[in-house]
Amino acid sequence: MSAPLVRTEELSGGYRPGTDALTGVTFAAEAGEVVAILGPNGGGKSTLFRALLGELPQRRGTVELAGRPAYVPQTERARLDFPVSALDVALMGAYGRTPWYRRLARADRAAARAALARVGLEAEAGERFGALSGGQRQRVLIARALVQDAPVLLLDEPLSGVDAPSAARIEALFEELRGEGRALLVATHDVRQARSWQRVLCLHGRQIAYGDPAAVLTPDVLQATYGAELVVLGDGSTAIAVEHHEH
Amino acid sequence: MLDAFSAPYMQRALVEIALLAVLAGVLGAWIVLRRLAFFTHSVGTATFPGLVVAGPWGIAPQLAALIAALGFAGARERLARGREGEEDAATGILLVGALALGALLASDVYRSGAGVDRLLFGTLIGLSGRDLALTALAAALALAADAALRRAWLARAFDPDGARALGVAVAWPERILLAAVAGAVIVALAAVGALLVSVVLVVPAATVRLLARDVRTLQLGTGALAAVEGVAALWLADGLNVSPGPAMAVLGGAVFALVALLTRGRS
Repeated sequence: MSAPLVRTEELSGGYRPGTDALTGVTFAAEAGEVVAILGPNGGGKSTLFRALLGELPQRRGTVELAGRPAYVPQTERARLDFPVSALDVALMGAYGRTPWYRRLARADRAAARAALARVGLEAEAGERFGALSGGQRQRVLIARALVQDAPVLLLDEPLSGVDAPSAARIEALFEELRGEGRALLVATHDVRQARSWQRVLCLHGRQIAYGDPAAVLTPDVLQATYGAELVVLGDGSTAIAVEHHEH
Repeated sequence: MLDAFSAPYMQRALVEIALLAVLAGVLGAWIVLRRLAFFTHSVGTATFPGLVVAGPWGIAPQLAALIAALGFAGARERLARGREGEEDAATGILLVGALALGALLASDVYRSGAGVDRLLFGTLIGLSGRDLALTALAAALALAADAALRRAWLARAFDPDGARALGVAVAWPERILLAAVAGAVIVALAAVGALLVSVVLVVPAATVRLLARDVRTLQLGTGALAAVEGVAALWLADGLNVSPGPAMAVLGGAVFALVALLTRGRS
């Protein structure tokens, strides 16, 4: 068994002293694993990402990472009126390794173009970011993370509201990234998708469960995770009724 | 037409316009991209009490303005602390307070009389060599800061949540940007006064923002527009015998409205 790329032990924390948004998170993700992070809005998914990025003001417990993780925000939070091209956004992935006194390297520009090609947007490199479709913008943000070349990727609902071709492309890319030995933590509300990945972490202000999807995704765990947002369908299966909201 | 610009005071005004155009281009772009227009306007207004007391107290107006701006920034930070999303309310309260204090000092304490107009609206045609030197220094520093920090500023402006995760320093470049904007406001006061700094530092950038597809174009276009508007306003003011600052405000507003109208409905 390889060493985990991400490991937490009794991770807790929040945004103000004395008020935890998330408590008791203990999990580990190895190379080649996609971990679904399930939970209702306000359940702690974004808080977990903030904690892993080292940006949570109040944090207790242990966090071990193989390197700086790359973060892919929800595309609906991106500024559409911004004067940047898809290539400009992808190039931002190289900012962290470029000292302020240096110009971006030619290799970084090549990496940004290659990343856009990998998400199927080579031809759109010069397009204004805000003029792209929601799914294309999400793929550009993923390309930015690819340029960072991080061992761990944190993706905040990357498949939420994207068009079918983009969703298919993103899911195929997840498989490629698994094959490269990266670990992906994917916040999602899609239980069906979560079943197809290697691990599931259920959150509702605290850790409800963690492990193999087959063992974790039981009706009781989903009920504890989603509470009133859980809907039982006529065929006995469950669905999540999620109200999307501005953070 | 060129005769209008032959007098030494007019040539100093042209130099000042060119220097302010550099500041408008370099920093104005970041002001609109970072949505700092209200901050910029409020820093200018907050300097008004400082400008009023500078003369009677025998200190340089820029120094008095700097002290007033620092007091404003500290009070704003204190008022907004722990109240995320309410920074504009704190800014608004302080802005009104600064105007009221300045008006009180000018009318009842120091009897500033007609000099108040100059403090509020500046005068491009009454600039000293020191005014030009300070603007040149601010423009040079702004160019240097932009060259060093533009990637950090761009990442932060585009994606406030994700910038740190890119490995980009966010906090200190942000402080430098705010300080640079405050510095630009202070050196612009002599030319356009406490109430019209936005005419130079915000309006041209907001206009070009409607057309520009990238940040470099936004900066170059803003600098060029600010220079053209400044020279045109100076020429109009001379011909119509009005003050150049308000002429620049009217011209800048008209150009913005025209461009907004022509680009309406564009994605």
